[in-house]
Amino acid sequence: MHSESDLEILMARYQQGDYAAATALIHQLGPQLHRFFLVQSAGRGDADDLLQETWLRIHEVRHTYRTGEPVLPWFYAIARHIRVDHYRRALRTTGREQPLEEVPEPAAAPPTASGGITDLQDLLAPLPASQREVIEMLKIAGMSLEEVARATSSTVGSVKQKAHRAYAKLRERLSGVALNEGRAGGFG
Amino acid sequence: MRDREIDAILNQAAQAPNDVDPALLASIANSVGRSLTPVRPLPPAWALAGGLVLISVAVALAGAGRLGFYGIQKMSVLDRALIFPALGLLLWLAATASVAEMIPGRRRVSPPILLGAGSLALVTVFAILFRDYHTHHFVHEGIACLSAGLLHAIPAALASWVLLRRGFAVNPVAAGLVAGTLAGLAGVTMLELHCPNFEAPHVMLWHTAVVPMSGAAGALLGWLSNRRA
Repeated sequence: MHSESDLEILMARYQQGDYAAATALIHQLGPQLHRFFLVQSAGRGDADDLLQETWLRIHEVRHTYRTGEPVLPWFYAIARHIRVDHYRRALRTTGREQPLEEVPEPAAAPPTASGGITDLQDLLAPLPASQREVIEMLKIAGMSLEEVARATSSTVGSVKQKAHRAYAKLRERLSGVALNEGRAGGFG
Repeated sequence: MRDREIDAILNQAAQAPNDVDPALLASIANSVGRSLTPVRPLPPAWALAGGLVLISVAVALAGAGRLGFYGIQKMSVLDRALIFPALGLLLWLAATASVAEMIPGRRRVSPPILLGAGSLALVTVFAILFRDYHTHHFVHEGIACLSAGLLHAIPAALASWVLLRRGFAVNPVAAGLVAGTLAGLAGVTMLELHCPNFEAPHVMLWHTAVVPMSGAAGALLGWLSNRRA
């Protein structure tokens, strides 16, 4: 996580054509945005493509950022737009394709019982996309409710509601895992 | 399980390193570096919103000037004191919402709520002021007013697009809906300045209809542009 004011300064310098600032932003925020795409169920290859596409768009529209405004919602709003656009195009393409046989929907991988849950993707996999992105922004990117509301073009109330529902689902899932772990431990 | 425990699990998961291929980051930095020039940030949001309101008022005045200011001449002082400030307020709200739609990550009002509340506010003001419930040539005169309002919304929308062309809409449908609402309000303002028909059903239905119809046209254009992109 990075200080918001540092990012603001880097962004202002990036707008002035400072290559070092642009590179610093790419190295600081690139991994964070990459994880955002990974958490949204994109494969690693897709996440790489989305990250590249996002940065090209950020570069094109960098003049739309205004100093003094929160930086992260600006970045995430663009990243979100690219992701939605990407899936819309993918749906259009796959809609025209005719599958040769029925492929079963992959089930969400159960959290690892032995080492606890360390894989964020697996942990958040059962949540709907809208809840996943809210949890990712709040808990992983460290954004405030207000910032998440700005990035997702919604209200603080709606963000709170999604986070609440996501926590309820996670609680249910993690309690189940803990119970299973307990049983496994009992029998072992 | 408590929220604090879930937080701890999420934090633990978040701390796991996410290794992005350094070559990928270097390639992005190279692509960005090739076309890196200083850029002029957008003007402040209030200046853009002010510009949009001025455009709407100018289109309304120009239209009414060409067709005649019969409506405002026939209005009482109370009518003028309620209708034009209400339109001014709605124009300002729609203009600020329109600017917010063109700047990523900006706080915004829900476009459908803006459209619904704006139309409802107009109907309410008209219902309070106009009590003549006769309907002479209801459809014929109504369609003439609706067409005139929508025709004036077009130049307002085009001029607004020119002003906001450097912005970037993360949701083109919402941006189109808000821009259409703003242009529709410019059309209604023109009708209030021009139209001398004060029959309540005429004003409440045909004048107000300019706003949702223009908003719907804007949303449709946004959707089409998004599909073609």
